[in-house]
Amino acid sequence: MTPVIILIALVMLVCGFEMLLVLGVPAFLTKAFLFPRIPDPVLIQKLVGGINFSTLLAIPFFIFAAELMASGQIAKRLTDLIKHFTAHRLGGIGHTTVVGSMAFGSVSGSAPATVAAMGKLMYPELRKTGFSEKFSLGLIVSSAETALLIPPSITLIIYGWMTGTSITGLFIGGLGVGITLGLAFCGLVIFESVRNGVGRGEKSTIPFLQTFNAASWALGLPIIILGGIYTGLFTPTEAAAVSVVYAIFVEAAIYKNLTLSKLIATTERAAISTTIIFILLAMGSVLSYFVTLAQVPVLITNFLTDIQAGPITFLIIVNIAFFIAGMFIDPNSALLILVPPLFPVALSMGIDPIHFGEIVCLNICIGMITPPFGLDIFVASSTLEKPVMSIIQGVWPFLFINILVLMLVTYVPGLATFLPGLLAP
Amino acid sequence: MRKILGSILSGIRTVERVLVISINLIMVALYTFNVLVREILPQYSSSFAWIDEATRLLMVWAVFLALGLALERGRHVAVTTLLEKLPKTPQKLVCLLINSTGIVFSCYLAWLGYALVKFVMRTGQVSPTLGLPMYWLYVAPTVGFMLLALRYGLELLNINNRHTRPILADPSN
Repeated sequence: MTPVIILIALVMLVCGFEMLLVLGVPAFLTKAFLFPRIPDPVLIQKLVGGINFSTLLAIPFFIFAAELMASGQIAKRLTDLIKHFTAHRLGGIGHTTVVGSMAFGSVSGSAPATVAAMGKLMYPELRKTGFSEKFSLGLIVSSAETALLIPPSITLIIYGWMTGTSITGLFIGGLGVGITLGLAFCGLVIFESVRNGVGRGEKSTIPFLQTFNAASWALGLPIIILGGIYTGLFTPTEAAAVSVVYAIFVEAAIYKNLTLSKLIATTERAAISTTIIFILLAMGSVLSYFVTLAQVPVLITNFLTDIQAGPITFLIIVNIAFFIAGMFIDPNSALLILVPPLFPVALSMGIDPIHFGEIVCLNICIGMITPPFGLDIFVASSTLEKPVMSIIQGVWPFLFINILVLMLVTYVPGLATFLPGLLAP
Repeated sequence: MRKILGSILSGIRTVERVLVISINLIMVALYTFNVLVREILPQYSSSFAWIDEATRLLMVWAVFLALGLALERGRHVAVTTLLEKLPKTPQKLVCLLINSTGIVFSCYLAWLGYALVKFVMRTGQVSPTLGLPMYWLYVAPTVGFMLLALRYGLELLNINNRHTRPILADPSN
């Protein structure tokens, strides 16, 4: 029966069924045919129980905050401050884009929101300083990945919720990996600038203090979020809620940029974005319940023992599985389908849960820019009004760098585990 | 007849939107208030222990109440690249299949939710800190999937077409 259910799921996926049906219907078929003795209402209990967690509350809050910042002034002012330091150097505006995405990532946990915010700000400037259309689009789409690694990160929250790994630990580990990825992109920017003699912008004429003052309120956000979480003042969820209130306050009272009707529209947009993630989380938790009941992790472990695979081979298999999944399905669904069966195997192989989380998160990042169906590619295409094909052409060199970084993170666990290790001896 | 139906539908939509927006704002306010009390007046923080549970309950409600709205606006995640490339007739057939699956599945879930609500009501379980009857948690999916079934119905009857709306046009995850 199992192969038939998997086949049904694949057909539904390809035909364009909503992902909530692609995840949900097979879960219910599994229950009906393989576990008929479990009473039906238990499924609703799993469905609701799956998302009824304080940890997950951070997601609607962070999405809300990201929506507020992307449509407001905060992103622009942070970027202006970074531009002050980077614009006139080799590859200047390119570095501004990478570091700006990282800065936006340090206050928001969503890569698509980062593409939307940074794309509108940086694309015209990148073109002005001579970067080609292909390279500019590729850079914007790829830099946004760092937002998922640099805390806060929605992907890492979901991973922590699924596996019971400390979210603070994951956040701190993500910092190291995110910075590594950002540096790698900066390297590519320098290469491109030297090769084509482009990218140097003009030195800003506005005095530093003025730029700094304009950004000072916006700088409060990363301090609240990162500082609050690392000092233990806030839990990630609390930091998320406070950052929404702070963003509303700054945008409305200081920058005078947020009206009541705009606030209501932003709230509604954020609420619907939350729903489309959470219904997948709910369906995914029903599915993962059956994955565990059907002992899929045990089957995988047995298979790996049969072929005498160690952690190194296992991680290669994990990376390939995520890469293929990332080509076709959205990042959250990939996470929900692949982590429940693979995580117990990783544990039994002695892989650190935080290290495994960063590998998974980096894979999810790559999935966001992997053609043909990378989510960020579509977001960039709709916000910048560029054809999907020209973005895909620009993405290749970045995808290559990404895979190198993935290999590095996979086989140098220290990149992911060094910082969390400092905090929790 | 059409007019009455239309105004009923827009009435439902208004109620959904008002509830979803206000619940989200209340969640933020409650949670921030909780943090402030703990940091500024820690001696009172134990009297607000119900806030965590209340916020989670509100979140579950907000999620399920917006299910229908999300479908109507074509916001639910789906891989529609192949579907969009199909010729007209097979495309219509696949849409018919998707929408009817959607209706059957959401009605089934709403019905299961209703069964669970009745069951929990009989046990008389009360939530730990809020003191609210537990079945309220399960009313949310029951209502939510009814709203989703309604929207799949509108799609099936061609009153709304989510596939002609720009999917992924919104810059949020």
